[in-house]
Parts: sequence; structure tokens; C-alpha cells
Amino acid sequence: MIDSNLNVLIGLAMGLNLLALGTSRLPALIRAMSVQGVILGVMPLLMEHQLDWRVLLVAVATICGKGLLIPGLLRRAMRTVQIDRELEPLIGFVPSLLLGAAGTIAALALTHLLPLLPEHAGSLLVPGALATVLTGFILLIGRTKAISQVCGYLILENGIYLFGLLLIKAMPLLVEAGVLLDLTVGVFILGIIVDRIQRAFDSLDTRKLTALHE
Amino acid sequence: MHTGLLLLVAAAAMLTSIGAGWRAPRVWLAAVLTSLAAVLAAALAVLGGGAEWVWRGGIAVGGEGLYLRLDAISALFLALLGVVGAAASVYAGEYWAEAAHPRSARPGRVWWSVMLLNLGWVLLASNGLHFLIGWELFTLAAYFLITLDRQRREVRAAGWLYLGASHAAVLALFGFFTLLAVRTGSWDLGPMRDRPELAPLFWLALFGFGLKAGMFPLHIWLPSAHATAPSHVSAMLSGVTLKIGIYGLVRFSGWLPVPLAAGAVVAGLGVASAVLGVAFALGQHDLKRLLAYHSVENIGIILLGLGFALVAASQGNPGWGRLALAGGLLHVWNHGLFKALLFFGAGSVLHSTGTREMSRLGGLWRAMPWTAGSFALGAVAISGLPPLNGFVSEWLVYLGLIDATLARGAAAWAALGAAILLGVTGALALACFVKVCGVVFLGAPRSNEAAGAHECGPAMRGAMGVLAGMCVAIGLAPLVFWPAIARAAGAWNPAWAGTDPPAPLLQLGWVHVALVLLVAVAAGWLWRRVRARGLARAVTWDCGYAAPTARMQYTAGSFGGLISEWFAGILRPERHEQRPEGYFPAAAALTEHTPETVLERVVEPAGRAVLRVSALVRRLQHGRVQAYVMYILIGLVALAAWACLAGA
Repeated sequence: MIDSNLNVLIGLAMGLNLLALGTSRLPALIRAMSVQGVILGVMPLLMEHQLDWRVLLVAVATICGKGLLIPGLLRRAMRTVQIDRELEPLIGFVPSLLLGAAGTIAALALTHLLPLLPEHAGSLLVPGALATVLTGFILLIGRTKAISQVCGYLILENGIYLFGLLLIKAMPLLVEAGVLLDLTVGVFILGIIVDRIQRAFDSLDTRKLTALHE
Repeated sequence: MHTGLLLLVAAAAMLTSIGAGWRAPRVWLAAVLTSLAAVLAAALAVLGGGAEWVWRGGIAVGGEGLYLRLDAISALFLALLGVVGAAASVYAGEYWAEAAHPRSARPGRVWWSVMLLNLGWVLLASNGLHFLIGWELFTLAAYFLITLDRQRREVRAAGWLYLGASHAAVLALFGFFTLLAVRTGSWDLGPMRDRPELAPLFWLALFGFGLKAGMFPLHIWLPSAHATAPSHVSAMLSGVTLKIGIYGLVRFSGWLPVPLAAGAVVAGLGVASAVLGVAFALGQHDLKRLLAYHSVENIGIILLGLGFALVAASQGNPGWGRLALAGGLLHVWNHGLFKALLFFGAGSVLHSTGTREMSRLGGLWRAMPWTAGSFALGAVAISGLPPLNGFVSEWLVYLGLIDATLARGAAAWAALGAAILLGVTGALALACFVKVCGVVFLGAPRSNEAAGAHECGPAMRGAMGVLAGMCVAIGLAPLVFWPAIARAAGAWNPAWAGTDPPAPLLQLGWVHVALVLLVAVAAGWLWRRVRARGLARAVTWDCGYAAPTARMQYTAGSFGGLISEWFAGILRPERHEQRPEGYFPAAAALTEHTPETVLERVVEPAGRAVLRVSALVRRLQHGRVQAYVMYILIGLVALAAWACLAGA
């Protein structure tokens, strides 16, 4: 029962992956990411039979961090630097979608090859995590704006978080704290980079960073 | 204890000389000579039948306790270092004097001492790590000595090539010593003949030590470095540091087991080095570059001896292997002596005329009789003619090869072929030195520089005299030196221990003495007859021409041209000619140049190909973050695929 609910949520998150890949608008991308963050935050509550206060803390922190705080910061950054809200893709939206779909299917197929524990075999956790990581990579590779890059990193982190859920029974806080810390630092640094790129180049196009090579 | 004390004195004196080199040339010379005398005494004590000296100190260098060892093999090379090093130090004082080289004379003395110290250290170290440290330090010191005159472009190019090649060797030796340490569990070195799993390491050692020794085809760095270095440095590099490469090969082929093919490979490389070294030498018109190629040739002779000794050791130690090894080891001494002597002579010519180009020299024996005399003696010795030392060692190698042929073993045909090729080498070397002596010292001066030549001073003459004396001594009294060689051969392979000389050696000594007496009597008789008839001096190459000029003489190219054409397939000489045409030809020209073929046809194209491929790889680094992330993804997917496939 719990497993099937969890699978529905993971399925939703995977759908949001495809949405993030297919959208041409920056606000839509940020929204997809924040909804995915909320869904991920709910998951630990479904996995635990008794509500431990630590699991509750993890869930609340995740929902607040991934669902509200970071998307809020990104929206503010978007407003302050006043960039064009159109995404400029290196990989087109349809090819990105096709790649994401192919990646999702491959993740589902590959999961059978992996040596998983019996209690994880029926769950969508592992393929969902793989598909989300892959989506993050496609966004990182295929989008040029620094904010869409941040979104790519965050979706990548979401994938890693899904993997982390496998371990939540064994070491709940450790995994979560590590992931959150990583995330905060990542966003922090990218926020600074966004600011610097904007000041230096009057644009958030990361392709202009090639001027820095050598 | 006695040996240890001498070596302590030597080390202290050499360290003093490093300090004194900058300010006090006399103190420096005294300290260097004291140190080398102490080293020589210690080496001779061991070679004269003294016990092997082993010392394990409490002081740790680089985390490893000091572990020194002086056995007969080390002592053999250490004695060479003592004699040649001392002669070259004395020579250097006059040749690279403060007045003529105000910028480089001081660092030259300091680096010289650093190099001597580390050469000695390498010969004594019995710890892989310490060996590598000493090796690297003397390599670097030699680099700074080669580039003392670094205002000149060719010197910098030669130094750079030397440094690059030496570090390729160091890399191989790092691999060798590290793998050895991993497999034995300790950096300590010593006899490990009963560990057959160590045998494949020999190939690494052969590359590293062979490159340092200037073995064909790894000799590419040698001609330019030896030609452009100051002559006392050339003498030291050619006479001693090349031999350190040989020392490494002898040392570790003696201590460690070797692969079955090692002997044949070393002998084959030796033959190739000998024949091609002398062939390349014939095509050279630069006096010191020519001598440098002869180093390749003589290293080939030494390797030939070592190679057949290895073959013999793999076939149950027949006596001919001992003869071949003894010949090779004695040739280490001999080549060190006569090659240093020849470089001193070439340096004296360069010092006096300012050119190494043979086509600008000629007729120098009138102005420089001492230089001409000792150079000619060195030329006779290096050509392997009796009654000098070159003949003794080559003859021992011949004896080994001929005995191997007569024994009708598995190596009989190879030995016969090697003996024939060794004979060819000797004949070509003789032709080459006839060319050198004829062009440089005989005939008429070809340029104003040559016409204004003057004899070098007492220090340079003295250094040449000592080495010439040693060449004559080994030639006339080989039996005196035999026990030292035999002890080194015994240290290499315990089955060949014992100092009983081969029967023909005693006769050889007497034949040589008789030959010298005969020549002396004949020369005296001739001199008396000439004096009695009266002496009339005339122009050389007079030939009845109305207006002879120095340009009518045979040139270096015309001396060597015929023979270098035989090897044109390998030498690839570049020839530009403008033939005289018509009945009254106006202009005609012929220039010939023999390049360093292995360097220019093999190594440089290979280097350019590597650079081209590297430029392609360079395109991967373009600054696009997106693509960098893609590289990470590709890497991850590849790793995952690898893990899945390896797991399945």
C-alpha cells in the first residue's frame, strides 16, 4: 500500500522531469523543480511506519528548502538581473524530451540488471533516481543560462536525494544533512557566480565563459 | 675501516671543493685532487685484492639508512673516475680559465665538483633511492656543465636535448628501482641471483642505462652534447659518465637474474652501436662531433663483451664468457683514457684556433707538436692498434669470440659474425682517424686561424701526458692490470672468480714491448740517416704545381666520402653538388653533411606526430561548461557500463 503510494509520487517526479526538459520558459522550469522538491519532501513520511521526529524534520527541511526557499531565491535572482525568460537551448526541447524519455526507459530497464535488495526491487526509487540524475545532466549540457544551469544542478541533486532515500532507514539524518549542505553550498556558489557573470558580461549566457579559457 | 676512512676524506675534500669553487680556484683544485687521490687509493686497495667494503650508517637520507658498498666492480669505475677526473680538473684550470670565461668559470668549478661527488656517490650507493638521487644530481650537474657557454644557441639546443633524453632514462630507472623495491620489499640493493621473477626488469634497466651510455639507437643526445660542451666536460662526459651507464648495466646484470634473450640483445645492440657509430663518425666534419660518434662505437665494443658474457652465463659459464667480459671491462678503462685524451687534444686545437671545423684546420703539428703527438697516440689507441691499450681490450674480446666459435656451442655462428663485424669496426675506426690526423695535423693550414695556432700550456699538456702514459702502460704491461679486471669479472659472476691470466696475455705484453723497441730502433736509425743527409723543408702538397694552395688538399669529406657512401642507406648524407661543366668550367661546388639520422628521421617526426595529436586533444578544452558536464556524463556512463560488463 505504502509502496504503491510512493511509486505514484516517484512517477509524478519523473513526469516533472519531462516537463522540465520540455518547457521553453524559465519560470516553468523553476516551478517544475519546486514541485518536484515538495514531492520529494513528502516521500520520507510515506516510507516510515511510525512518525519519527527526525524523519519529520527531514521532510519539513526538504519541503522548505527545495520547494520554497531555493525556488524563491532563483525567482528573485531572475527578477533582479532582469533576464529574458526565454530559455536558449543547445539541445532543442524535442530532442531533450526524447533523450529524457529514452533515459527514463533505459533506467527502468537497467534497474533489473542491478544487484538490489529484495525490498527495493519492486519500488521505482532506483529507476526514478537514475532518470532524475540523467535529466539534471541533460539540462546542464543542453541549456545555456546560468539560472537554468542551477536548475539542472538542483534536479541532479534531487536524483541523488532519491538514492539517499534508500538509506533513510539506516542513517536518516546523515544522508539528508549531507545532501542539504551540499545543496546550500552549491546554490550559494552559483548565486555568486550568477551575480559575477552578470556584472562581468552583462549577460547570463555561460557560453561567454569561453573567453576565460587558457 | 681503512677504505672507509679514505672515502670519508674524499667526500669531505669534495664538499670543501664545492664551497671553494666560487672564490678560490687553487683551493678548489687542491681539494678536488685530494679527493680523487683518496678515491683512487680506496679503489686500488679493493682492486688489489682487498676485501669488499660494506658500510651501513645510522644516518637516514630520504627516509632510508645509508648503505654503501665498494666491491671490485664499483672500484673499477671509481678508479677510472679518479684518474680521468683528476686529469680533466687540471686541464680545466687552464682550458676554461677565469680570464677567458669570467661569467662561467666559477659556476663551472662548482658544478664540476657536484658532478664528481655524485658520480662517486652513484658508484658506491647500494640503495635504490640513493642511487636515483645521485643519478639525478650528476645528470643535472652535467647539464649545467654542458651549457656553461649558453650564450650560443647550439649549446642551449644541445643541453636541452641532453636534459630531455636523460630524463627519459631517469624515468625508466625510476620504474626499474621502484618495481625492484616493490618486489623485494626493500630499497636495499645486493646480489639477488636466485629470484627469477625479477628478470623482466632488465629491459627497463637496459633502456635507462643504455640511453645514458649512448647505445645505438638511443645515442641521439650524445653527439651534440659532447660536441658543444667545453672540452674538459666532453672528456669527462665521454670518458666517465657514459661508463656510469655501463656500470649500471654491469652491476644489475650481475646482481639480478636476466631474461634469456638479454645476452643476444645486448650483443646485437653492441654490434649495431660499434659499426654504425664509426660509420656516422666517418661522415662528420666537426672534430668533436666525430669523437662523440666514436664514443658510440666504443660503447658498442663494451656492450659486445658484456653481451657475450651474458650469453655465456646463460650457457653454463664457459671460459670464453670471462674473456669477453674482461675485454669489455678493460675497454671501459681504455676508452675512458684515450677518449678523454682525444677530447683534450681536440680541446687544445679548439682553444688555439677557435674552430672545430676540420675544413678550416690543417698543418697543426708544426705549431702544436705536443698536442699532435698525444692526439696521434690516442688515435692509435682508439683504432685498436698494437702496442697500445685499445688493442689489449679488443683483443680480449676477440679471444672470447673466437673461443666461443671454436667451442661450437649455440653461440658459435653469432660469435663468428660479431668477430668479423668487430674487425670491420676497427678498420673503419682506423680509416676515420687517418682522416682526422691527416686533415687536422698534416698538410698545410686551410685558414688563418689554423696558421696562427699555438701550443697549449703546461697544465693541458700535463693532463694529456698522464693519460697518454696510462694508455702506453696498459698496452705494454697488461698483466699488471689484469688482476683488477679479473676481480671485477669475479664480482660480476662468482663462477669466474680467480685472477689467473689467460695464457696469451703474458706473450702479448712481451710482443708489445718488443714492438716498441723495434719501432724506437727503426725510428732512431731513420732519424740518423735523415740528419746525415741534411734536412730540407718544402711545402706540403707541392706536387710540382706552380702556385699550390691549401685548398688543393684532400678535405675531410673526401677522406670519408668513399666509406660513408657504403652506409648511405643508414647515414642518409645530404649532398649538394654543382658539377664543373664545359671545357672551361667557371664555378663548381660540393657540400656534404651527415645529419643525426635517428634524431632527424625518427625521433623528431615522432615528436611532431605526438604534438599534432596533442593539439587535437587540446580542442576538448574550450571553456564551454555544458560540454565539460557532458564529459563527466560520458565518463560516468562508461564507468557504469564497464562495471556492469565486468560484473556480468
